Amino acid sequence: MVKLKIDNREVEAEIGSVLIDVIRGEGTEVPSMCYLKDAEHFTSCMVCVVKDKTTGTIIPSCSLKAEEGMDIISMDEEVQEARKTALELLLSEHVGDCEAPCQITCPAHMDIPLMNRLLAEGKFLEALKVVKKDIALPSVLGRICPAPCEGACRRKSIDEPISICLLKRFAGDCDIGSDAQWIPENEPDTGKQVTIIGAGPAGLAAAYHLALKGHNCTILDRNRKAGGSLLKEVSTEELPADVLQHEISLIGQTGVAFKLNTSVDAKGFMELTRSCDAVVVAVGKGESGVSEWGLPMHSKGVETEGRTYRIGDSNVFVVGSALKPSKMAIRVLGQGKEVAFSVDQFLAKKPVSGEKFIFNSRFGKLLPGEYAEYLKESKEGVRLEPEVAARGFSAEQVMEEARRCLHCDCRDLQSCKLRAYSDEYHADQKRFRSEERLLCRKLDQHDRVIYEPSKCIKCGICVRITEKYKEDFGLTFIGRGFDVVIGIPFNETLRNGLKIAADEVVTSCPTGALSLK
Amino acid sequence: MQIDIKDIDRIVGEVGIQQHAVIPILQAIQKRYNYLPEEALRRVCEISGITPARIVGVASFYSQFRFHPAGDHMIKVCVGTACHVKGAEQVYDAMKRELDLDETEDTTASGKYTIEKVNCLGCCTLAPVVQIDHVTYGHVSTSQVASILSDFESQKGAAGKKQFKYADGGEVKGEIRIGLGSCCVASGSDEIRDAVKDTIDRNGLNVKLKQVGCVGMCHQVPLVEIVPSKGETTLYSKVKAADVEQIVEQHFQPERLLKRISNRILRAADNIRDDSRWIGVDRYSLDVREKHVSSFLGKQVPMATEFRGIINPIDVEEYKERNGFRGLARVLSEMTPGQVIHEITESGIRGRGGAGFPTGKKWSLVAAGDSKTKYVICNGDEGDPGAFMDRMLLESYPYRIIEGMIAAGYAVGATEGILYIRAEYPLAVNRIMQALEICREQGYLGKNILGSGFDFDLTVYQGAGAFVCGEETALIESIEGKRGFPRIRPPFPAVQGLWGKPTLVNNTESFAQIAYILKNSAQAFNRIGTETSRGTKVFALAGKVVRGGLIEVPMGMTIREVVEEIGGGVANGRTFKAVQIGGPSGGCVPSWKSGTAIDFESLKEVGAMMGSGGLVVLDDTDCMVDIARYFLTFTQNEACGKCSFGRIGTKRMLEILEKITSGRGTEKDIENLEHLAHWTKKGSLCGLCSTAPNPILSTLKYFRDEYEAHIRGECPVGKCKELIRYEITDDCIGCTLCAQDCPVDAIAFRPHEKHEVNNELCIKCDGCRQVCPEDAVITK
Repeated sequence: MVKLKIDNREVEAEIGSVLIDVIRGEGTEVPSMCYLKDAEHFTSCMVCVVKDKTTGTIIPSCSLKAEEGMDIISMDEEVQEARKTALELLLSEHVGDCEAPCQITCPAHMDIPLMNRLLAEGKFLEALKVVKKDIALPSVLGRICPAPCEGACRRKSIDEPISICLLKRFAGDCDIGSDAQWIPENEPDTGKQVTIIGAGPAGLAAAYHLALKGHNCTILDRNRKAGGSLLKEVSTEELPADVLQHEISLIGQTGVAFKLNTSVDAKGFMELTRSCDAVVVAVGKGESGVSEWGLPMHSKGVETEGRTYRIGDSNVFVVGSALKPSKMAIRVLGQGKEVAFSVDQFLAKKPVSGEKFIFNSRFGKLLPGEYAEYLKESKEGVRLEPEVAARGFSAEQVMEEARRCLHCDCRDLQSCKLRAYSDEYHADQKRFRSEERLLCRKLDQHDRVIYEPSKCIKCGICVRITEKYKEDFGLTFIGRGFDVVIGIPFNETLRNGLKIAADEVVTSCPTGALSLK
Repeated sequence: MQIDIKDIDRIVGEVGIQQHAVIPILQAIQKRYNYLPEEALRRVCEISGITPARIVGVASFYSQFRFHPAGDHMIKVCVGTACHVKGAEQVYDAMKRELDLDETEDTTASGKYTIEKVNCLGCCTLAPVVQIDHVTYGHVSTSQVASILSDFESQKGAAGKKQFKYADGGEVKGEIRIGLGSCCVASGSDEIRDAVKDTIDRNGLNVKLKQVGCVGMCHQVPLVEIVPSKGETTLYSKVKAADVEQIVEQHFQPERLLKRISNRILRAADNIRDDSRWIGVDRYSLDVREKHVSSFLGKQVPMATEFRGIINPIDVEEYKERNGFRGLARVLSEMTPGQVIHEITESGIRGRGGAGFPTGKKWSLVAAGDSKTKYVICNGDEGDPGAFMDRMLLESYPYRIIEGMIAAGYAVGATEGILYIRAEYPLAVNRIMQALEICREQGYLGKNILGSGFDFDLTVYQGAGAFVCGEETALIESIEGKRGFPRIRPPFPAVQGLWGKPTLVNNTESFAQIAYILKNSAQAFNRIGTETSRGTKVFALAGKVVRGGLIEVPMGMTIREVVEEIGGGVANGRTFKAVQIGGPSGGCVPSWKSGTAIDFESLKEVGAMMGSGGLVVLDDTDCMVDIARYFLTFTQNEACGKCSFGRIGTKRMLEILEKITSGRGTEKDIENLEHLAHWTKKGSLCGLCSTAPNPILSTLKYFRDEYEAHIRGECPVGKCKELIRYEITDDCIGCTLCAQDCPVDAIAFRPHEKHEVNNELCIKCDGCRQVCPEDAVITK
């Protein structure tokens, strides 16, 4: 055993144990990407650095052994800065999207690529479930949304964007009229009462998402019909009344109660804030009464606390056009989802921080040299148009159009260490971004694995694994310095490179460079 | 190309089938085919233990290896520091234009020429230098590239080198010494040697012609020294082949008068032939009995370079006559290993590779290692642009280095040693190989050396072109047949080195000085130098200095003394601006700090470092941001790519510097540059990248105003291409030379009128400025 200090605490470690394991063993998390336990260390990513207190130097903890008398600081301002810089350097050459541009652009942050893939396979109900995770009124939106997502669609630079909006409409409509309409399952009843004032798109969305979280929701509206601006500002040609009513009724089936023809005055509002656990104000734009409710105002509407939509530290939350007039239903719908998150935090007595932005790697426009690479995962052909606009796509058209999707989103969103650490250390991808970037490539000549070199951080884990498995060709470093790439010797195919080690290589890759198809 | 499987099988049979044989195998294949055909590599994998991943990984790491056939002739444009400051980039561009190659091509369509940049040909004093196969052209200007090619064409197929012959019989009247270091050879000393030999033969002189190693006075090459048996020695510099006869005659009377007269006629004929020769290498002035020689050599203290210009590198008898191997004999017969280490520790010598680790301490660590097998490695993987000390020492003093290594082996308990020498130094490799053979014959290597019972042998390992392999752990990886990725230390090689055994890695110069210490005594060494930096240091002095060359100076000498007294000050009447010490790891020391003593600590204090020993003098026409960019280009290109800070940090710093030197930089860029420099220094895995920011940090420290000027869109000295324009002053005499030289017709051909440069068309090749006889072309 050797004795050393970790963060000023005396600890004992087995002779020959690696520093990072010792520190982690003490319950302190140390980030690392290139460390492969039981394999020879490689000292590449440098995000595992800690400080040697004796010399003041920054050392990679994955590659040094614990030694008698060491005095290690696992985290301080300098270590934080070193790790962040290492991550920012890695990000500066990491060419790939975490979430696809369409999803990032969607105000409701819907997982569009996943919906596309399910639709392409004909799994319509599965697709609907994905949509309904984020969008309360897909059939409605599928008819009226200006589709900012399509503006961001990478396919746009090749020919035309995917017809996302119509695909979503199809998903929303897919079980209309069937016997067993799909209603999402609520979480267990929390016993909390939430009143939502206003049955427009923002209020409906807030109520829907709160109901899913197990809260008891009541929507008040002074009109005799629910729908708010969707009734007033959209023509019935664009949005047939029965479509709207159908989706509102589906929200009702999640347990949301509607009290229509009910006005709320200042006194009534005060009472609601006392009798309910939380109140969500979604009264729409220019509702004159609101100014008398004692809410802080600015020129365009109510003023709330940033992304939480909360008024001070009260139980009142405000969303939608009451904050700032918006013509985009999808935007206020997204807010409805976000406020539900804040309210849920509030009701659970957690700090109310609102939904967190997670780090997303982004690389801007697709370059002409990359079109062919992206088309590898897609189907050639122009954007389809429905035969009769009012009817939308047929099932065949949906499957065909959805196959045009380029799969821009990363396959390793959940397991990517680069993303998780970049998020944790607040790394800025643009800090050291250069004028030139690597070209994206997708090596797909393998039954199960796809390799995207521009996402690789050159940690050499896969090289070590294929060596261990004695692959015929395996993977190797090719070139030197900045231009080094991981490749298959003699330009053999990926299939020949990964004959036996594919699974372990994919699981061990710290980024989405090597992943299962 | 059709490859013959049998060739490959033979090569593998000769070299070996283990993984670590991979580099020598690749070198042999490349030697055979001039590149590495894939078919050959696949065959190697079939018949050896070398995997495809290994062979491709290794072959693509080292810059020696080519994957495409090269042209029949290799054109190497030196872009070492000294050549860079004298316009090597423009020469390279001009050569590419001449060969009609676009940016991505390196080989002419006809397959005749392949052009490449090389980091240092070691002829810094002839800068800029271009080498085509084995012909070296010095002081090349952009306007001369065409004549170089035609000169080379005219030489092809010329008679091979003549055999060297001594004059026979009779009393030897004296000795004529000719330098045969790389600089001398590059400047034409082979031709001189032939001329001397002819003269001797024709006149029937009884004079000994002797080739000696590098004299160090590379600014005066080729050198001929006349040493009569009686009387004074005379040194002639910058000798032309045509001058030889006269020089020789002046000192040695030919036997017969008649012969002398006939010689005069012959000589006249020689001169005519000579005038037709290409004059790219500066014309050597006649009659130069160099006056400054005494000050050039006077302040120097030769230890590693003892007897320079006197001894024949390969003549072991002569080495012994001058007390060579006496130190080793004393070590083996009178001293215990502990006493040897004590002596080295006493001498105070610190590693000459740059970092200055105390050598005695390193030896003790290796000696303390509990292992039957230990190794001694001589690090001769010098790759620094603008430094060629190791090469000169290996070429000129092979026995001295071998002696140091044997003694080291005895002291630390090793029985095997390796000289790691760059394959780009063929002369050094050959000399060492010859010397090793002779040492074995004479009993200095092998079993029971000098009857002491100590066994030790040495082999040569040829480095395949990767600067990072100068880092000791990368060097070891490379010998083990892997990519030259450095390893984290600890464990240090002294504890766990080659094949996991305790390994002593010392620099070439260190071993040469160790031989000196053991021959003379620790005191003879440590009485020179300063308190913490004992002894001497060899430098390659080059750049804008009157007298460049290899110098060995006592530690503690100031930069000013070196530049002014040894170097003769700044050339061409310009102003001394700074010195760049230590190459890519070092820094720029401004003229106002030139009182700084040259020792490990003082240099570090001013932001430079001893490094490998390049010392490049810069004048007021040198742009400091450009110098920083130049060094980053080098380190970025040589970084191994293992750790994030080194791989991406150096690249991003270079990009920022390129942005700044092209006038697109912002204040924010300087800030980011500093941030990256700080973290690359602090976070990189090994010495290459952790010192790479030094040229940036030192120029930012002393010349920040120049960075800021570039941000404002101006290069104060008019060096950075994108920020300057060419103009012609009223001094123009209308001679049209510039117009004729301009490759893009940016200067109209108008005889007797003042010329004008159309800067829209101008590609800034600098040709016009160089050809103008009136210095009327200026940059703004």
